[in-house]
Parts: sequence; structure tokens; C-alpha cells
Amino acid sequence: METLGYLIDGFGVALAPHNLMFALIGAFLGTLIGALPGLGPANGVAILIPLAFTLGLPPETALIMLTSVYAGAMYGGRISSILLNIPGDEPAMMTCLDGYPMAQKGKAAEALAISAIASFMGSLIATIGLILLAPLLAKFALTFGAAEYFALFVLAFATLGGITGKNPIKTVLAAALGLMIATVGIDSTGTQRYTFGVLELYEGVDFIIAIVGLFAISELLFFIEDRAGGGKGPMKVNKLTLSFKEVREIMPSSIRGGILGFIAGVLPGAGASLGSFIGYTLEKKVVGKKGYFGEGDPRGVAGPEAGNNGASSGALVPMLTLGVPGSGTTAVLLALLISMNITPGPLMFTQNADIVWGVIAALLIGNFLLLLLNIPLVGIFVKLLSVPPKYLLPIVTMVAFVGIYSISNSAFDLYFMVAFGVFGYFLRKLEIPMVPIILGLLLGPEMEKNLRHTLDIADGDWTALWGSGLAIGLWVVAFVGLVLPYIVGPILRRRMNAAQQGAE
Amino acid sequence: MTQRNDRICGVLLLVLAVAYGWGATQFPEPFGGAESVGPETFPKVLAVVLALSSLYLIVKPDPDNAWPKGRIVLELVIAVAVLIAYTLLLQPLGFIIATLLAVGTLCWRMGAAPMRAYMTGAVAGVVVYLLFTYALNLALPLGVFSVLEGS
Repeated sequence: METLGYLIDGFGVALAPHNLMFALIGAFLGTLIGALPGLGPANGVAILIPLAFTLGLPPETALIMLTSVYAGAMYGGRISSILLNIPGDEPAMMTCLDGYPMAQKGKAAEALAISAIASFMGSLIATIGLILLAPLLAKFALTFGAAEYFALFVLAFATLGGITGKNPIKTVLAAALGLMIATVGIDSTGTQRYTFGVLELYEGVDFIIAIVGLFAISELLFFIEDRAGGGKGPMKVNKLTLSFKEVREIMPSSIRGGILGFIAGVLPGAGASLGSFIGYTLEKKVVGKKGYFGEGDPRGVAGPEAGNNGASSGALVPMLTLGVPGSGTTAVLLALLISMNITPGPLMFTQNADIVWGVIAALLIGNFLLLLLNIPLVGIFVKLLSVPPKYLLPIVTMVAFVGIYSISNSAFDLYFMVAFGVFGYFLRKLEIPMVPIILGLLLGPEMEKNLRHTLDIADGDWTALWGSGLAIGLWVVAFVGLVLPYIVGPILRRRMNAAQQGAE
Repeated sequence: MTQRNDRICGVLLLVLAVAYGWGATQFPEPFGGAESVGPETFPKVLAVVLALSSLYLIVKPDPDNAWPKGRIVLELVIAVAVLIAYTLLLQPLGFIIATLLAVGTLCWRMGAAPMRAYMTGAVAGVVVYLLFTYALNLALPLGVFSVLEGS
């Protein structure tokens, strides 16, 4: 019951007129970001962080806006899946399978509407799950000591690549690089580390600069290399004729997808891609021969869409309660929290209860806004989708420059951002994932603090790191998370590919 | 299929790990004398982790991705040069002119017709400038236009 009271307070925060307005702006921008080519959700949120700063938004407003962006991006990803058979982001891949055939049959508007409703259901279920689960997990996390936290951070890195990840060693490598960058600067004892006497490095590397550089600038370079500036032709959407019966028919699929997606989102190492994959596979199993999957079955659109949105809300659970994000975009949201001087984790639920519950309430409201935005306004998003990247990406890059510049008015930061962009380009060429680097930058200071704490208490005894049953459990999960992709990964990847090829 | 990329990368990262680890041994002793854990403990752990994983990369590299060739390399270099020039010119030329040049050049190099490219740059520059100055109350450098401001 305690939770309900908090939630009502949260609605009080989220329904304040200016917060509501920013939620609406966020939802709109998010859908746009999800829909546009070359602007993934993590990238989009990253570019908007400096702007949220320079606007001087209070923390809860900034977070509400950016979680709305996050939720919106998941809605947006499906538009190009359905209309063009090109997933706007990775989790939207499964939506192509039945969404595109529907569009080919002249039912694009129905497919878009169904996916919006399914997305809404998925998010709604997952947000309710979040409301129920998060306080429990937060309470449990209060029993964590320094050693457990250290093990938890290791677990976060180990499972970041996900079960479908390609080369876990590259995840480890990237995590080490990120943590190394985080050690630059003056540490807690006042020792200078790796500053080389450069004044700008004394305070360490600003992770917002790193994030924007790694995502936005490297994306620009990749588009130039692929010569993909041309964009796509204009697209048409038919007039919507959706009966109540059709909506009712997809409800069971949406609910199943949403629940599965939520579970996939909460668990470390699963993520939204797996959520939508499981959502689709389950639908195929449950409906069986009665369905016509792969040929434009509406349930094949609803299942994975609900799954992917459920997973993205579920992914907020570990981020909010433990301070350990499980995906790129939640890592970027964590960056926002840290830079607003809010320490995520169990204490946030007591110390910043208004913010946490305001954000959760905003997630619910944001979903209603998104549903309202997405059904009548889908035509606008479709039009914007045909803006060619050759105009879009330079402008996005410019916005990134302005954002970074407006934080500190320093040219040094901009050079740094460009350098990170070039660095990111090489990393992507070598298939070294960037998210662990960012997570390393974010978690580095906390991780080191917990390591020192543990060792200080135990007087330099390293075995203290696995001194408790809980810590051992976390280490085991971390180890499994690192090894499992070697065994299960190839099988799962093959199946996902097979499912996709079968549809073409 | 060659595997040179990962090998070279592994060697470079191994060198980095050694240099980083050596750097950690050079930190001055913190005030109050050495303790069991100091500023160098965590970096040393990281150096070991990086060294081991880069060794793995050298021993078991993944197949290479193709690197761009010829003209595309040039285009990439131009893009990076434009971004550096943008930073360089932001203060002296002012936001609007610098944006016109940078966004315009990028659009043009990505395949837009020159006129339309620079028009996009000009419009984007003016719109963002007005938005920042009047709606968000943030100062962007005016540069050469600052003569207008004084009067």
C-alpha cells in the first residue's frame, strides 16, 4: 500500500503542467528519433542530455522528458519496419516479419495502429511490473555491501553483450577501456592519475562528451562511408479501417508479449531484441496452424511489438533499483542521473522518492500520450521518415556540437568529442561494442570506491570480494553470463536469422 | 579472409595495457603513507584485464571488416576536417556563419546539390541561433555579426 501512496505522489509530479508538456515534447521527439534512420534511441537520448542541461531543467523534469523520449523511440522503430521492411532499430527486426507483408497487402495503416496498441499494452504491463517489482528489489538491494556491489558491477559488464552477443572477450576489452578512461583525473585521495599535466583532464573525462562523440559522430562517419545519404522514396499509408473486433483479437498476443518482454528486460543480458524475438516465437507456437505468420498476421505484429516495449520498460528496473543499466539506452539515462547528482540505486527510492515515482508515473502517462500521438499523427512521422540522411545527419551533428558547447563554452570539449567520434568509428570497424565503454565510464568511480572499501575493511585481503553467499552468487551469474554466449549464442543467432530469411 | 585488424588492435591494446599498468606504479605515494589499497590498485587490475583480453585477441582474432578505400577515405578525412574547422571557427566567425559552412559542406559531401546544401546550412544556423537566443536564453557566439549588436 505504501507503493500506492508514492505512486499517487508521483502522478502529482508528472501531471504538473510543465512536466506534462515536456513529456509530450519528449514523446514526440522520441518517436521521431526511433523512426529516423541513423538515430538510434541511445544516440538520440545522448544528444538531448546536454540540451536538458542547458535548459536548466530540474532533475525530475529532465528525467521525465528523457524517459518519454526513451519510450517514444521504441514506438518509432516500428514505422520503418512496417513500411520499408527496414527495422528502425534492432528490436524492431521481428516486426518486419508480419508488418511488412501487411503493408504490402495495403494494410499499412492497420499494421501501424495495431503495433501502436500492442506497444502500449506491452509498456503498460511492464510499467505495472516495474511498480510492483522495483520497490522490492530496492529493499533487497539495501542489504548489499561493498563486495556485493563490486560483484554486481562485474555482472553488469559480463551480461552486457547479451546472450546473443558475438565475442564476449571484446565486451571485456571494451569494459576495461571504459574503466581506464574513468580513472583519468584526480582520485579520492587527491592523487593525479593519467592527467599528463593537462588542466582540462584534472576533473576527468566528461562522459556526456564521450557518449555524444561515440554515438553521434561515429554514426555520421558510417553514413558517409556507406554513401547512404540518399534516403528512401516517399511512402503512402492507406486510410485506417480498424474494427473493435480486430483490436480485441490482438489483445491476448499483446499481453503475452508484454509479460515475456518485461521478464526479458529485467533479466541481465537479455534485452529488447530477445524480448521481441521470444514474443514472436511464442505467438507462433500458441496460435499454431490457425495463424498465417510471415504473411501479414496481425498477431505477428502485436507479439514482438509488445515484447520489445515491455522489455524496454523492464530494463529500467535494474537501472533504477541497482544503478546498473542493462542496455545502451538505459546506460545513457544513468548518465543523466549521475550528472544531475542523483545516485541511482536502492537509496534513490528513499532519498529521491519524488523523482523516482514521478518518472514511473510519467512512464504511464507518456504511454497514453504516445498512443494518442501515434494513431492520428502517424502520417506526419511517415513524412518525416523520408527526409534524406544527407540533410538530417549534418543537422543532428550540429545539434550535438551546440549541446556540448553550451555546457562549458569550451572548444577543448568539442575537439574531445570529435576525437571520441573517430575512436568510435574504429571501434565499430573492429566490432568492439561501445556500450561497455560508456558503462565503464559511468560505473568506474563507483566500482573503484567499492573495491577500495572492501579491501580496506578486509585489510587488503582480496578473498573478501567473494566473502558472502550473495557475492558468490553474483560472481557465478557473471561468469555464466560471460560463458553462455559461447554455447547458446550461435544457436539463437542462427534461429533469429532463419526466422528472418524465412519471411523474405 | 584476413584477420589482421584484430591482431594489430590486440598488439596496440597490449602496449596500452603495459604503459597504463606501468603508469600506475609511478603514482606518488598518497599523503599519510602507503596503505594496502591506494590509487594504483584499481588501475593495476584493469591493466591485467586489458592485457589478458588483448592477448586473446591476438591469439584468436575475428575475421576482418573491410576498410574503406580511396575516395571514401578522402571523404571521411574531409568530414573530420570539417568538424575540426567548425570548432576552430565557431568563436571567430560566429555560430551562424560557421554552421552555414560546416553543415553546408557536410550535406554537400554526403550528396546534396551544393546550393541546397548550403541553404540547409544557412537555415539550420539561423533557426538554431534564434531558438537558443530567444527561446532558451543561451548565448551562442555572434562572431562577425557582433557589429550589429553594438548599435
